[in-house]
Amino acid sequence: MASMLGYRSEGGQPGIRNHVVILSLNSFCNRAVEIIAQTVKGTVPLTHPFGRNEIGIYKDRLERTIEGVLLHPNVHSALLVGYEPASTRETLAKVRGLTGKKIESVLVLEGGTLSAIKQGAEKAMWLAIEASEAKRSPIEFKDLIFGVKCGGSDATSGVASNAAIGEAVDIIIGAGGTAIFSETTEILGAEHILARRAVSETVAQKILAAVKQNEDMALAAGVDLLGVNPVPDNVRGGITTIEEKSLGAILKAGKAPIQDVLGYGERPMKPGLYFMDSPSAASEVTTGLSAAGAQMVLFSTGTCNPVGNPISPVLKVTSNPRTVSRMREHLDVEVSDILTSDMSLREGGEKIVEAIIRVANGKLTTAEVLGHNEFAPLPVGL
Amino acid sequence: MSGTIGTKQWLWLHKEDNVAMALSDFAAGAALSIEGNSVTLKDAVEYGHKFSLVAIPKGEDVIKYSETIGVASRDIAAGEHVHVHNVQSLRAKRQ
Repeated sequence: MASMLGYRSEGGQPGIRNHVVILSLNSFCNRAVEIIAQTVKGTVPLTHPFGRNEIGIYKDRLERTIEGVLLHPNVHSALLVGYEPASTRETLAKVRGLTGKKIESVLVLEGGTLSAIKQGAEKAMWLAIEASEAKRSPIEFKDLIFGVKCGGSDATSGVASNAAIGEAVDIIIGAGGTAIFSETTEILGAEHILARRAVSETVAQKILAAVKQNEDMALAAGVDLLGVNPVPDNVRGGITTIEEKSLGAILKAGKAPIQDVLGYGERPMKPGLYFMDSPSAASEVTTGLSAAGAQMVLFSTGTCNPVGNPISPVLKVTSNPRTVSRMREHLDVEVSDILTSDMSLREGGEKIVEAIIRVANGKLTTAEVLGHNEFAPLPVGL
Repeated sequence: MSGTIGTKQWLWLHKEDNVAMALSDFAAGAALSIEGNSVTLKDAVEYGHKFSLVAIPKGEDVIKYSETIGVASRDIAAGEHVHVHNVQSLRAKRQ
Protein backbone atom coordinates (compact mmCIF):
# COMPACT_ATOMS: atom_id res chain seq x y z
CA MET A 1 0.00 0.00 0.00
CA ALA A 2 1.24 3.49 -0.86
CA SER A 3 2.57 5.54 2.06
CA MET A 4 0.70 8.39 3.73
CA LEU A 5 2.07 11.54 5.29
CA GLY A 6 0.29 13.44 8.04
CA TYR A 7 0.83 16.12 10.70
CA ARG A 8 2.06 14.75 13.99
CA SER A 9 1.74 16.72 17.19
CA GLU A 10 2.64 15.85 20.78
CA GLY A 11 -0.02 13.62 22.26
CA GLY A 12 -3.04 12.63 20.25
CA GLN A 13 -3.53 11.22 16.79
CA PRO A 14 -1.86 12.72 13.71
CA GLY A 15 -3.93 14.85 11.36
CA ILE A 16 -4.26 14.82 7.57
CA ARG A 17 -5.01 18.55 7.48
CA ASN A 18 -3.54 21.34 9.59
CA HIS A 19 -6.38 23.81 10.00
CA VAL A 20 -6.42 26.98 12.05
CA VAL A 21 -10.08 27.27 13.00
CA ILE A 22 -11.99 30.39 13.94
CA LEU A 23 -14.83 28.97 16.03
CA SER A 24 -17.98 30.82 17.02
CA LEU A 25 -19.28 29.99 20.49
CA ASN A 26 -22.53 31.83 19.96
CA SER A 27 -24.66 32.96 17.03
CA PHE A 28 -23.91 36.61 17.87
CA CYS A 29 -20.23 35.92 17.18
CA ASN A 30 -20.71 34.53 13.68
CA ARG A 31 -20.20 37.88 11.96
CA ALA A 32 -16.82 38.44 13.63
CA VAL A 33 -15.81 34.85 12.79
CA GLU A 34 -16.66 35.33 9.10
CA ILE A 35 -14.67 38.56 8.81
CA ILE A 36 -11.64 37.23 10.70
CA ALA A 37 -11.52 34.16 8.45
CA GLN A 38 -11.85 36.32 5.34
CA THR A 39 -9.03 38.55 6.60
CA VAL A 40 -6.52 35.92 7.68
CA LYS A 41 -5.42 33.54 4.94
CA GLY A 42 -5.22 29.90 5.99
CA THR A 43 -8.03 29.98 8.54
CA VAL A 44 -11.39 28.16 8.50
CA PRO A 45 -14.58 29.77 9.86
CA LEU A 46 -16.98 27.63 11.92
CA THR A 47 -20.33 29.31 12.51
CA HIS A 48 -23.70 28.03 13.75
CA PRO A 49 -26.92 29.45 15.21
CA PHE A 50 -26.50 28.04 18.76
CA GLY A 51 -24.66 28.66 22.02
CA ARG A 52 -27.25 30.07 24.38
CA ASN A 53 -29.80 28.37 26.64
CA GLU A 54 -29.41 24.83 25.29
CA ILE A 55 -30.41 22.13 27.79
CA GLY A 56 -29.99 18.40 28.34
CA ILE A 57 -29.03 16.24 25.37
CA TYR A 58 -28.72 19.31 23.13
CA LYS A 59 -26.31 21.08 25.48
CA ASP A 60 -24.23 17.87 25.72
CA ARG A 61 -24.10 17.43 21.95
CA LEU A 62 -23.10 21.06 21.37
CA GLU A 63 -20.37 20.99 24.03
CA ARG A 64 -19.04 17.64 22.84
CA THR A 65 -18.91 18.87 19.26
CA ILE A 66 -17.07 22.07 20.18
CA GLU A 67 -14.56 20.09 22.24
CA GLY A 68 -14.25 17.54 19.44
CA VAL A 69 -13.41 20.28 16.93
CA LEU A 70 -10.78 21.86 19.17
CA LEU A 71 -9.13 18.52 20.02
CA HIS A 72 -9.38 17.27 16.44
CA PRO A 73 -6.16 15.86 14.89
CA ASN A 74 -6.78 17.94 11.73
CA VAL A 75 -6.81 21.16 13.79
CA HIS A 76 -3.47 22.87 14.39
CA SER A 77 -4.80 25.65 16.62
CA ALA A 78 -7.93 27.68 17.18
CA LEU A 79 -9.35 31.07 17.95
CA LEU A 80 -12.59 31.00 19.93
CA VAL A 81 -14.88 33.95 19.37
CA GLY A 82 -17.08 34.06 22.46
CA TYR A 83 -19.88 36.38 23.45
CA GLU A 84 -19.54 36.98 27.18
CA PRO A 85 -16.62 36.20 29.48
CA ALA A 86 -18.01 33.55 31.88
CA SER A 87 -19.06 30.86 29.38
CA THR A 88 -16.10 31.58 27.09
CA ARG A 89 -13.65 31.21 30.01
CA GLU A 90 -15.34 27.96 31.00
CA THR A 91 -14.97 26.47 27.49
CA LEU A 92 -11.38 27.69 27.26
CA ALA A 93 -10.39 26.22 30.64
CA LYS A 94 -11.96 22.89 29.78
CA VAL A 95 -10.26 22.43 26.39
CA ARG A 96 -6.92 23.76 27.61
CA GLY A 97 -7.03 21.04 30.24
CA LEU A 98 -7.39 18.44 27.49
CA THR A 99 -4.89 19.61 24.88
CA GLY A 100 -1.59 21.40 24.68
CA LYS A 101 -2.38 23.03 21.33
CA LYS A 102 -2.78 26.80 21.12
CA ILE A 103 -6.38 27.88 21.77
CA GLU A 104 -6.85 31.67 21.84
CA SER A 105 -10.02 33.67 22.44
CA VAL A 106 -11.67 37.05 21.95
CA LEU A 107 -14.98 38.41 23.26
CA VAL A 108 -17.68 40.29 21.40
CA LEU A 109 -19.30 41.73 24.54
CA GLU A 110 -16.09 43.57 25.46
CA GLY A 111 -15.90 46.28 22.82
CA GLY A 112 -18.23 44.96 20.13
CA THR A 113 -17.92 43.07 16.87
CA LEU A 114 -15.37 45.46 15.28
CA SER A 115 -13.06 45.22 18.27
CA ALA A 116 -13.37 41.40 18.31
CA ILE A 117 -12.53 41.32 14.59
CA LYS A 118 -9.38 43.42 15.08
CA GLN A 119 -8.14 41.53 18.14
CA GLY A 120 -9.14 38.19 16.64
CA ALA A 121 -7.39 38.78 13.31
CA GLU A 122 -4.21 39.80 15.15
CA LYS A 123 -4.23 36.55 17.13
CA ALA A 124 -5.28 34.33 14.21
CA MET A 125 -2.56 35.59 11.86
CA TRP A 126 0.26 34.31 14.10
CA LEU A 127 -1.49 30.94 14.43
CA ALA A 128 -1.77 30.72 10.62
CA ILE A 129 1.91 31.60 10.14
CA GLU A 130 2.93 28.98 12.71
CA ALA A 131 0.68 26.34 11.12
CA SER A 132 2.18 27.01 7.70
CA GLU A 133 5.56 25.70 8.91
CA ALA A 134 4.25 22.27 9.91
CA LYS A 135 5.88 19.33 8.13
CA ARG A 136 4.29 16.03 7.16
CA SER A 137 5.69 12.73 8.39
CA PRO A 138 4.64 9.10 7.76
CA ILE A 139 1.34 7.89 9.18
CA GLU A 140 -0.50 4.59 8.93
CA PHE A 141 -4.09 3.40 8.86
CA LYS A 142 -3.84 2.58 12.56
CA ASP A 143 -3.48 6.34 13.18
CA LEU A 144 -6.71 7.11 11.40
CA ILE A 145 -10.42 7.17 12.19
CA PHE A 146 -12.83 7.18 9.26
CA GLY A 147 -16.41 8.36 9.43
CA VAL A 148 -18.69 6.43 7.08
CA LYS A 149 -21.90 7.95 5.80
CA CYS A 150 -24.35 7.57 2.96
CA GLY A 151 -26.53 10.40 1.73
CA GLY A 152 -28.68 11.15 -1.27
CA SER A 153 -29.06 7.39 -1.51
CA ASP A 154 -30.71 5.68 -4.43
CA ALA A 155 -31.01 2.05 -5.41
CA THR A 156 -27.43 1.99 -6.76
CA SER A 157 -26.06 2.99 -3.32
CA GLY A 158 -27.52 -0.09 -1.66
CA VAL A 159 -26.08 -2.55 -4.17
CA ALA A 160 -22.76 -1.01 -5.22
CA SER A 161 -21.23 2.17 -3.70
CA ASN A 162 -22.16 1.33 -0.08
CA ALA A 163 -20.86 -2.21 -0.54
CA ALA A 164 -17.62 -0.93 -2.12
CA ILE A 165 -17.12 1.47 0.82
CA GLY A 166 -17.76 -1.54 3.07
CA GLU A 167 -14.88 -3.32 1.35
CA ALA A 168 -12.66 -0.23 1.91
CA VAL A 169 -13.69 -0.21 5.59
CA ASP A 170 -12.73 -3.89 5.88
CA ILE A 171 -9.29 -3.07 4.39
CA ILE A 172 -8.84 -0.14 6.81
CA ILE A 173 -9.87 -2.16 9.86
CA GLY A 174 -7.70 -5.06 8.71
CA ALA A 175 -4.77 -2.60 8.78
CA GLY A 176 -5.51 -1.61 12.40
CA GLY A 177 -7.64 1.44 11.65
CA THR A 178 -10.97 2.63 13.01
CA ALA A 179 -14.30 3.38 11.35
CA ILE A 180 -17.54 4.84 12.67
CA PHE A 181 -20.87 4.54 10.91
CA SER A 182 -24.00 6.22 12.10
CA GLU A 183 -27.62 7.24 11.37
CA THR A 184 -29.84 5.31 13.75
CA THR A 185 -32.96 5.77 11.60
CA GLU A 186 -31.06 4.16 8.74
CA ILE A 187 -30.28 0.92 10.49
CA LEU A 188 -33.98 0.57 11.37
CA GLY A 189 -35.08 -2.67 9.75
CA ALA A 190 -31.52 -4.02 9.65
CA GLU A 191 -30.64 -3.76 13.35
CA HIS A 192 -31.04 -7.51 13.87
CA ILE A 193 -28.17 -8.12 11.41
CA LEU A 194 -25.91 -5.56 13.16
CA ALA A 195 -26.79 -6.90 16.62
CA ARG A 196 -25.50 -10.32 15.52
CA ARG A 197 -22.18 -8.65 14.68
CA ALA A 198 -21.72 -6.95 18.07
CA VAL A 199 -18.68 -8.04 20.11
CA SER A 200 -20.88 -8.76 23.12
CA GLU A 201 -24.49 -9.20 24.16
CA THR A 202 -24.26 -5.82 25.94
CA VAL A 203 -23.28 -4.07 22.71
CA ALA A 204 -25.99 -5.96 20.79
CA GLN A 205 -28.58 -4.69 23.29
CA LYS A 206 -27.21 -1.13 22.93
CA ILE A 207 -27.73 -1.32 19.15
CA LEU A 208 -31.30 -2.59 19.53
CA ALA A 209 -32.07 -0.01 22.26
CA ALA A 210 -30.81 2.88 20.10
CA VAL A 211 -33.16 1.84 17.28
CA LYS A 212 -36.09 1.28 19.64
CA GLN A 213 -35.62 4.73 21.15
CA ASN A 214 -35.47 6.28 17.68
CA GLU A 215 -38.61 4.49 16.51
CA ASP A 216 -40.46 5.44 19.73
CA MET A 217 -39.39 9.06 19.24
CA ALA A 218 -40.93 9.07 15.75
CA LEU A 219 -44.15 7.54 17.07
CA ALA A 220 -44.29 9.91 20.07
CA ALA A 221 -43.94 12.84 17.68
CA GLY A 222 -46.92 11.48 15.76
CA VAL A 223 -44.71 10.91 12.74
CA ASP A 224 -45.20 8.18 10.20
CA LEU A 225 -41.60 7.54 9.28
CA LEU A 226 -42.59 6.86 5.72
CA GLY A 227 -42.58 10.36 4.27
CA VAL A 228 -39.72 11.50 6.54
CA ASN A 229 -37.31 8.72 5.68
CA PRO A 230 -36.82 7.57 2.95
CA VAL A 231 -36.77 11.20 1.78
CA PRO A 232 -38.36 12.17 -1.57
CA ASP A 233 -35.11 11.92 -3.56
CA ASN A 234 -34.55 8.39 -2.17
CA VAL A 235 -38.05 7.41 -3.31
CA ARG A 236 -37.48 8.91 -6.75
CA GLY A 237 -34.24 6.90 -6.91
CA GLY A 238 -36.15 3.65 -6.33
CA ILE A 239 -35.95 3.12 -2.54
CA THR A 240 -39.38 2.11 -1.24
CA THR A 241 -39.18 1.64 2.55
CA ILE A 242 -36.89 2.43 5.46
CA GLU A 243 -36.14 -1.31 5.76
CA GLU A 244 -34.86 -1.38 2.19
CA LYS A 245 -32.83 1.79 2.71
CA SER A 246 -31.33 0.41 5.94
CA LEU A 247 -30.44 -3.01 4.49
CA GLY A 248 -28.53 -1.19 1.75
CA ALA A 249 -27.09 1.41 4.15
CA ILE A 250 -25.45 -1.08 6.52
CA LEU A 251 -23.33 -2.48 3.69
CA LYS A 252 -21.11 0.62 3.99
CA ALA A 253 -19.94 -0.62 7.40
CA GLY A 254 -18.28 -3.70 5.94
CA LYS A 255 -18.16 -6.98 7.84
CA ALA A 256 -16.05 -6.30 10.98
CA PRO A 257 -17.41 -6.92 14.49
CA ILE A 258 -19.04 -3.87 16.11
CA GLN A 259 -17.02 -2.79 19.14
CA ASP A 260 -19.48 -0.39 20.77
CA VAL A 261 -22.23 2.18 20.35
CA LEU A 262 -21.00 5.78 20.68
CA GLY A 263 -23.00 8.90 21.53
CA TYR A 264 -23.09 11.84 19.09
CA GLY A 265 -19.53 13.17 18.73
CA GLU A 266 -18.12 10.61 21.17
CA ARG A 267 -14.57 9.41 20.49
CA PRO A 268 -13.81 5.67 20.12
CA MET A 269 -11.19 4.47 22.59
CA LYS A 270 -9.58 1.64 20.60
CA PRO A 271 -9.38 0.54 16.95
CA GLY A 272 -12.17 -1.28 15.09
CA LEU A 273 -15.69 -0.61 13.87
CA TYR A 274 -18.17 1.49 15.87
CA PHE A 275 -21.78 2.61 15.52
CA MET A 276 -22.62 6.21 16.51
CA ASP A 277 -26.20 6.77 17.68
CA SER A 278 -27.28 9.90 15.82
CA PRO A 279 -29.88 11.48 13.58
CA SER A 280 -29.32 11.02 9.87
CA ALA A 281 -29.13 14.38 8.04
CA ALA A 282 -25.80 14.70 6.20
CA SER A 283 -24.46 17.93 7.74
CA GLU A 284 -25.26 16.84 11.29
CA VAL A 285 -23.79 13.37 10.82
CA THR A 286 -20.54 14.53 9.20
CA THR A 287 -20.17 17.12 11.98
CA GLY A 288 -20.69 14.39 14.62
CA LEU A 289 -18.28 11.97 12.93
CA SER A 290 -15.66 14.71 12.72
CA ALA A 291 -16.23 15.65 16.37
CA ALA A 292 -15.65 11.99 17.27
CA GLY A 293 -12.15 12.41 15.81
CA ALA A 294 -12.66 11.11 12.26
CA GLN A 295 -9.87 12.58 10.12
CA MET A 296 -11.84 11.76 6.94
CA VAL A 297 -15.43 10.91 6.07
CA LEU A 298 -16.22 8.33 3.37
CA PHE A 299 -19.53 9.32 1.82
CA SER A 300 -21.53 7.09 -0.48
CA THR A 301 -24.09 8.83 -2.65
CA GLY A 302 -26.59 7.84 -5.30
CA THR A 303 -28.51 10.93 -6.39
CA CYS A 304 -25.70 13.10 -4.94
CA ASN A 305 -25.29 15.35 -1.92
CA PRO A 306 -22.90 18.33 -1.97
CA VAL A 307 -22.14 18.25 1.78
CA GLY A 308 -18.63 18.88 3.10
CA ASN A 309 -17.06 19.49 6.50
CA PRO A 310 -14.70 22.29 7.60
CA ILE A 311 -12.35 19.96 9.51
CA SER A 312 -12.51 16.50 7.94
CA PRO A 313 -12.34 16.00 4.16
CA VAL A 314 -15.47 14.27 2.87
CA LEU A 315 -14.74 11.79 0.06
CA LYS A 316 -17.76 11.26 -2.21
CA VAL A 317 -18.22 7.87 -3.83
CA THR A 318 -20.96 6.98 -6.30
CA SER A 319 -21.92 4.02 -8.45
CA ASN A 320 -24.56 5.87 -10.47
CA PRO A 321 -23.15 6.91 -13.88
CA ARG A 322 -26.12 9.25 -14.45
CA THR A 323 -25.25 11.12 -11.28
CA VAL A 324 -21.66 11.42 -12.50
CA SER A 325 -22.81 13.19 -15.67
CA ARG A 326 -25.28 15.39 -13.77
CA MET A 327 -23.28 16.27 -10.62
CA ARG A 328 -19.61 15.67 -11.49
CA GLU A 329 -18.36 18.63 -9.41
CA HIS A 330 -19.57 17.00 -6.18
CA LEU A 331 -18.00 13.56 -6.66
CA ASP A 332 -14.53 12.14 -6.02
CA VAL A 333 -14.61 8.41 -6.81
CA GLU A 334 -16.77 6.53 -9.29
CA VAL A 335 -17.35 2.80 -8.91
CA SER A 336 -20.15 2.49 -11.49
CA ASP A 337 -18.25 -0.33 -13.21
CA ILE A 338 -19.61 -2.59 -10.46
CA LEU A 339 -23.02 -2.21 -12.13
CA THR A 340 -22.13 -1.47 -15.75
CA SER A 341 -19.06 -3.61 -16.28
CA ASP A 342 -17.06 -6.26 -14.49
CA MET A 343 -15.60 -4.45 -11.46
CA SER A 344 -15.92 -6.58 -8.31
CA LEU A 345 -16.93 -5.02 -4.98
CA ARG A 346 -13.41 -5.71 -3.71
CA GLU A 347 -11.90 -3.87 -6.69
CA GLY A 348 -14.29 -0.99 -5.96
CA GLY A 349 -13.06 -0.98 -2.35
CA GLU A 350 -9.43 -0.95 -3.49
CA LYS A 351 -10.12 2.01 -5.81
CA ILE A 352 -11.61 3.89 -2.83
CA VAL A 353 -8.58 3.05 -0.65
CA GLU A 354 -6.28 4.49 -3.34
CA ALA A 355 -8.34 7.71 -3.32
CA ILE A 356 -8.24 7.79 0.50
CA ILE A 357 -4.43 7.62 0.48
CA ARG A 358 -4.21 10.53 -1.99
CA VAL A 359 -6.62 12.68 0.05
CA ALA A 360 -4.75 11.82 3.25
CA ASN A 361 -1.60 13.03 1.48
CA GLY A 362 -3.21 16.39 0.78
CA LYS A 363 -5.20 16.03 -2.44
CA LEU A 364 -8.29 18.23 -2.08
CA THR A 365 -11.75 16.68 -2.29
CA THR A 366 -14.43 18.31 -4.45
CA ALA A 367 -16.29 19.44 -1.31
CA GLU A 368 -13.09 21.04 0.07
CA VAL A 369 -12.25 22.91 -3.12
CA LEU A 370 -15.84 24.17 -3.50
CA GLY A 371 -15.81 25.42 0.10
CA HIS A 372 -18.56 23.12 1.33
CA ASN A 373 -17.91 23.65 5.05
CA GLU A 374 -21.22 22.61 6.55
CA PHE A 375 -20.97 22.68 10.33
CA ALA A 376 -24.12 21.60 12.18
CA PRO A 377 -23.25 20.87 15.80
CA LEU A 378 -26.73 20.38 17.18
CA PRO A 379 -28.75 17.70 15.42
CA VAL A 380 -32.42 17.65 16.33
CA GLY A 381 -34.16 15.53 13.65
CA LEU A 382 -34.48 11.83 12.96
CA MET B 1 -26.97 -17.58 -2.47
CA SER B 2 -25.43 -14.20 -2.17
CA GLY B 3 -23.84 -11.97 -4.73
CA THR B 4 -24.91 -10.60 -8.04
CA ILE B 5 -26.60 -12.80 -10.56
CA GLY B 6 -27.44 -11.59 -14.01
CA THR B 7 -26.63 -9.33 -16.87
CA LYS B 8 -26.29 -5.59 -16.56
CA GLN B 9 -29.92 -4.93 -17.52
CA TRP B 10 -31.19 -5.94 -14.13
CA LEU B 11 -29.90 -7.09 -10.78
CA TRP B 12 -31.32 -9.99 -8.80
CA LEU B 13 -29.37 -9.96 -5.54
CA HIS B 14 -30.48 -13.20 -3.87
CA LYS B 15 -32.34 -16.32 -4.88
CA GLU B 16 -34.84 -15.63 -2.05
CA ASP B 17 -35.69 -12.18 -3.44
CA ASN B 18 -39.10 -11.81 -5.08
CA VAL B 19 -38.07 -8.49 -6.67
CA ALA B 20 -35.22 -7.47 -8.96
CA MET B 21 -33.79 -4.04 -9.75
CA ALA B 22 -33.80 -2.42 -13.20
CA LEU B 23 -30.42 -1.25 -14.49
CA SER B 24 -32.07 0.32 -17.52
CA ASP B 25 -35.25 2.31 -18.20
CA PHE B 26 -37.76 -0.31 -19.28
CA ALA B 27 -41.04 0.35 -21.08
CA ALA B 28 -44.17 -1.60 -20.18
CA GLY B 29 -44.26 -4.84 -22.15
CA ALA B 30 -40.51 -5.42 -22.04
CA ALA B 31 -39.84 -9.15 -21.95
CA LEU B 32 -36.94 -10.14 -19.69
CA SER B 33 -35.33 -13.49 -19.13
CA ILE B 34 -34.03 -13.75 -15.60
CA GLU B 35 -32.10 -16.89 -14.71
CA GLY B 36 -34.28 -18.95 -17.01
CA ASN B 37 -37.58 -17.36 -15.93
CA SER B 38 -39.36 -15.02 -18.30
CA VAL B 39 -40.93 -11.89 -16.88
CA THR B 40 -42.98 -9.45 -18.94
CA LEU B 41 -43.14 -6.01 -17.37
CA LYS B 42 -46.67 -4.75 -16.82
CA ASP B 43 -45.47 -1.20 -16.08
CA ALA B 44 -42.63 1.05 -17.17
CA VAL B 45 -39.78 0.56 -14.68
CA GLU B 46 -37.11 3.23 -14.30
CA TYR B 47 -33.41 2.65 -13.67
CA GLY B 48 -32.88 1.70 -10.03
CA HIS B 49 -36.52 0.80 -9.42
CA LYS B 50 -37.84 -2.66 -8.59
CA PHE B 51 -40.15 -5.09 -10.35
CA SER B 52 -41.75 -8.31 -9.11
CA LEU B 53 -40.44 -11.64 -10.36
CA VAL B 54 -43.49 -13.55 -9.11
CA ALA B 55 -46.98 -12.64 -7.92
CA ILE B 56 -46.93 -11.21 -4.36
CA PRO B 57 -50.39 -11.37 -2.74
CA LYS B 58 -51.55 -8.51 -0.49
CA GLY B 59 -49.98 -8.79 2.98
CA GLU B 60 -47.09 -11.00 1.83
CA ASP B 61 -43.44 -10.01 2.38
CA VAL B 62 -41.52 -8.16 -0.30
CA ILE B 63 -38.03 -9.65 -0.18
CA LYS B 64 -34.74 -7.99 -1.21
CA TYR B 65 -31.24 -8.68 0.23
CA SER B 66 -32.98 -11.94 1.31
CA GLU B 67 -34.70 -9.81 3.99
CA THR B 68 -38.19 -8.33 4.33
CA ILE B 69 -38.30 -4.74 3.08
CA GLY B 70 -42.06 -4.36 3.63
CA VAL B 71 -45.35 -6.02 2.71
CA ALA B 72 -47.52 -5.82 -0.39
CA SER B 73 -50.28 -3.28 0.30
CA ARG B 74 -52.32 -4.82 -2.51
CA ASP B 75 -51.99 -7.85 -4.78
CA ILE B 76 -48.92 -7.46 -6.96
CA ALA B 77 -48.73 -9.46 -10.20
CA ALA B 78 -45.44 -10.72 -11.64
CA GLY B 79 -43.75 -7.99 -13.71
CA GLU B 80 -45.28 -5.01 -11.88
CA HIS B 81 -43.35 -1.94 -10.77
CA VAL B 82 -42.88 -2.51 -7.01
CA HIS B 83 -42.65 0.73 -5.06
CA VAL B 84 -44.43 3.02 -2.58
CA HIS B 85 -47.80 2.58 -4.36
CA ASN B 86 -47.98 -1.15 -3.60
CA VAL B 87 -45.55 -1.72 -0.69
CA GLN B 88 -45.94 -0.70 2.93
CA SER B 89 -43.13 -0.43 5.49
CA LEU B 90 -43.58 -2.42 8.69
CA ARG B 91 -41.62 -0.01 10.85
CA ALA B 92 -42.30 3.24 12.79
CA LYS B 93 -45.79 3.32 11.37
CA ARG B 94 -48.62 5.24 12.98
CA GLN B 95 -51.45 2.93 13.96
